[in-house]
Amino acid sequence: MTDAISTIGLGRSYGATVALHPLTMTVAKGEVFGFLGHNGAGKTTTIQLLTTLARPTTGRASVSGHDILTDAMAVRRSIGYVPENVRLYDTFTTRENLLFFARLSAVDDPADRVTETLDFLGITDLAARRVSEFSKGMRQRVGLAQAILHRPEVLFLDEPTSGLDPMGVKLLRRVIERLNADGMTIFMNTHLLGEVARTCTSIGILSHGRLVFQDRIDAVSHLYGNENALEALYLSVLPEAGRAA
Amino acid sequence: MTAFRPLILQALQGLARDRTVAVMATLFVVLVLISAWLGWSATTTVNAIYADAAKFLAESGQPVPPNPVMETSPLALFRNLSIYVSLIGALSAIVTGFRLVATDRRAGVLPLIGSRPLDPWTYAASRLVSLALAMAALIALAAAVSVVTFLILPGLLVTGSDWLRLTLFFVLAWGFVMLFGLIALGATATARSEAAGVLTPVSVWLAVTFILPALTGNIHPTAAINPVSALAAAPDTAFFHVMGSLFGPLSVAESFKFLSADLLRFLPDGIVSRGTLPPLPALLLALAAAFAFALRGLSRLDLTKGDFDA
Repeated sequence: MTDAISTIGLGRSYGATVALHPLTMTVAKGEVFGFLGHNGAGKTTTIQLLTTLARPTTGRASVSGHDILTDAMAVRRSIGYVPENVRLYDTFTTRENLLFFARLSAVDDPADRVTETLDFLGITDLAARRVSEFSKGMRQRVGLAQAILHRPEVLFLDEPTSGLDPMGVKLLRRVIERLNADGMTIFMNTHLLGEVARTCTSIGILSHGRLVFQDRIDAVSHLYGNENALEALYLSVLPEAGRAA
Repeated sequence: MTAFRPLILQALQGLARDRTVAVMATLFVVLVLISAWLGWSATTTVNAIYADAAKFLAESGQPVPPNPVMETSPLALFRNLSIYVSLIGALSAIVTGFRLVATDRRAGVLPLIGSRPLDPWTYAASRLVSLALAMAALIALAAAVSVVTFLILPGLLVTGSDWLRLTLFFVLAWGFVMLFGLIALGATATARSEAAGVLTPVSVWLAVTFILPALTGNIHPTAAINPVSALAAAPDTAFFHVMGSLFGPLSVAESFKFLSADLLRFLPDGIVSRGTLPPLPALLLALAAAFAFALRGLSRLDLTKGDFDA
């Protein structure tokens, strides 16, 4: 199986501060990959590098077979990205925001695609409303809509459940499952172990900018037993998390 | 360049919904209307007085002198326009340039745009073209008001040369307001805070409109907002000679007023431009520098970050 994401020694420093130590890992096509780690572990930096929003200071990476440094445009055509705090044009309606992003991604028949996407996410009722009226959960759903308008091969979600109520989390989980069933690879930064256990097929754990664990979820269950397997793993690879608990 | 058109459409749509931009544009158009009304009022008053005087002189058998309205260029009716362009026009351009970038930075959509298949140059070009189009629309509104004024004023003899001069004046006005819009674009793209983004171009505008004319020609702020007194000759002293040579080329508001007066035919006799550089090259150089500043700022805009720093 071809890798959806592959990194070799990918790293990023800001002056003397190392945000991400050289990272080597792969995410297979069709996976729902959960990227775990404490605040400041380097998860968002990794997403910024993989989405070509930032340039690495070391190493290289490819997304959907395209090099992030030499073929950034092809990478961008093949990805969708939902940042932690989705912010859109407040004076525009949901439909206007989505039309803008659809046109930006050179989608054929943008109006039809926007309608389809709104329908897919069950947010048709938000179409004519201005984004300024929305709660965080509603914005998050519109943010997800803008990221999947062009049917990307890989979807990057940065803390997608942050600030969502349980219903919002459940809806998001269902959407992720449906997108993944259609063949989309999902790369998800998160803190929530329970969410990862329910949604992801493989995980990576980042600590202080270093990858300390990567494997499939079923292998984790096999290693640590089914009950609370992920928590046991997390505490074992991140001792400081155990001390804090 | 597929992303170019949607970026421009979004920018113009956003500007059209921006209340501050709408207020500034309305204020500018209202002032242009007032300028036209003042011209119309002065012309009709002089015409009425002339008609009465001519009738009286004819009845008493004395020679009737020509109508003074016919002795001055009809373009001079719009002399106040040069002041409105340098005041409200320039401020409108600053607000527009600021909003074009600040909206994206404040809305936090830059990372979403940055993850799309477009390079920073496309984004930069879209903002520059959006500014140019928005300013062209603003100046076109002023031009439309002026043309209507010309057409409805009685007794004015407007020649082909006058129309050409009026057109050139509006091209000049567009270039002048673009200068401040470009500075606002560049400053807002590079500023860490929103306040710095707007204060930088406003400070440049204040310096150019009020401080430099005072240094180079002893033009006080109240004189600077009068189309004729703003063109007064500089005092013949060593200080103003030195200041004129040093800062004359930078005093682009004076260059604009000089060129406007020349085009609209109200330049007082004997007035020459200050500084070592003629006014048109000085304006063009300033415009080129502002363009480079805006392009540099926009192309270096950090697309990973949405917000201004707190």
